[in-house]
Amino acid sequence: MKESPQNKKLETMLRSSKLVAGGFMGYDTRSVSEIIDSDTNELSRFGLTSEQVAGRMQQITDTAKSGLGTWMRIDDNLQAKIDEARGFLPCPWPHSGRFVKRITILRRVNTSDTIRWSDLNIHLIDEHGFFQGKGSSFRIEPKKLIEMIF
Amino acid sequence: MILTIFTAVIVVSLIGAALAGVLVISEHYLNDYGRCRIMINDERELDIEGGRDLLSLLASEKIFIPSACGGRSTCGLCKLKVLEGAGPLLPTEEPFLDETERQSNVRLACQVKVRGDLKIEIPKELFAIREYTCKCTEITDLTYDIKLFRFELIEPKTIDYIPGQYVQLQAPAYKKSSEEVYRAYSIASDPAEKNLIDLIIRLVPGGICTTYCFEYLKVGDEVKMNGPYGEFRLSETDAPIVFIAGGSGMAPIKCMLHQMKNTQNKRKATYFFGANQPRDLFLLDLMKEFEKQLPDFHFVPVLSEPNGAGHLEYEKGLVTDAVRRNLKNATKSEAYLCGSPGMIEAAIKVLLELGMSEEKTFYDKFE
Repeated sequence: MKESPQNKKLETMLRSSKLVAGGFMGYDTRSVSEIIDSDTNELSRFGLTSEQVAGRMQQITDTAKSGLGTWMRIDDNLQAKIDEARGFLPCPWPHSGRFVKRITILRRVNTSDTIRWSDLNIHLIDEHGFFQGKGSSFRIEPKKLIEMIF
Repeated sequence: MILTIFTAVIVVSLIGAALAGVLVISEHYLNDYGRCRIMINDERELDIEGGRDLLSLLASEKIFIPSACGGRSTCGLCKLKVLEGAGPLLPTEEPFLDETERQSNVRLACQVKVRGDLKIEIPKELFAIREYTCKCTEITDLTYDIKLFRFELIEPKTIDYIPGQYVQLQAPAYKKSSEEVYRAYSIASDPAEKNLIDLIIRLVPGGICTTYCFEYLKVGDEVKMNGPYGEFRLSETDAPIVFIAGGSGMAPIKCMLHQMKNTQNKRKATYFFGANQPRDLFLLDLMKEFEKQLPDFHFVPVLSEPNGAGHLEYEKGLVTDAVRRNLKNATKSEAYLCGSPGMIEAAIKVLLELGMSEEKTFYDKFE
């Protein structure tokens, strides 16, 4: 399918390193729409929507916030903490929206498996269904995420 | 018939090409704003080539306005008053300006395009801000994700700053970033060493500037920074001091402690440093030195997971818990905080409960 000029502009922005080192697309050669479609299909195999996934991520981030950077109990087997850095990250989509540089780190206590996301990740998944391209710093594999947070 | 179609196609194509040509030519002339004059504070006039944003034009004239995002309208720091010639407020500026600022013609310098003559107002202290060319002379691992970077000033050779202030470090374009960016870091050095700037930087995954510093910057490399900026500083009272800062938030506190040592400051001071594990602690020897050199200074590491702390003396729990346990009455104290907004808000809440008045809390939030 032919990409619209708006999508082409968005893809250029996502592949550039204007906002994050290495960009949002990593080494993924698929288009933004292909990545979103593929990840949406993955979510639907688990019977979930991107809004539900983002909602649960936000819940965990909110709990972790009260730990002031220390590990907080999420459930019997999960702990989360947040790291914050100076500054904001804007959403690369053409609308207003900026997010503090806050990273939530979630770990499974019995296996030490970890997964991390930024506040911008939550927004990208919630509003745009975008889990980022493979190889980017904050790509989250939907399957791994779902298995960790639900 | 075929000839008619062919002629029509040629004619339409020629008309299209002509229109495109007109557009290109008119864009060239319409976007040529020529020389523009910028009157600053009714005192100084700049004669510059128009067409760029005000922030970068001022920087090219060595007038540096604070900006942490390098002109992307995401930090909202580059505020100044544009009294004439700015044009209407842009949607990208609106989230950063309150009603009072809008009434006073405050704008974001990065969003104001210079298309004609401007009249602007800049705080006088910004004229003292300079650009420094420096050489990285030392990179020290402090923890697994925090490093201390030492820079020697090449030109100008010295810098005067107030402990607590920050500089903006320029990360040049590199493999993972197509353009240069500036990021703000608090000065961590001993202010007596006027030819050095130490920065304590924590790696931010995907961060453009921290990735540059951690993966690309090498000892011997030259970098540029400008500054100093900021209002965070020690007061000149005798009130007991409560410092609260963890991680790279130690930078301005370390600088203030050097100053206290240099000036033989006798104020009572306690520094609560919050961390998860012993591996998150650093510069413990320096803190011990300060305890010996300053008449009444105590460093209190606070660990939420103290396993493996050995003989280290520490408090257990959240940094706010330790403050509450150690500081029964804060009515006469002042607090100096550096760190995440969440930590600062939580610490201020505790300090107010302990009797400290809000105007005695000074902080440098990570935003």
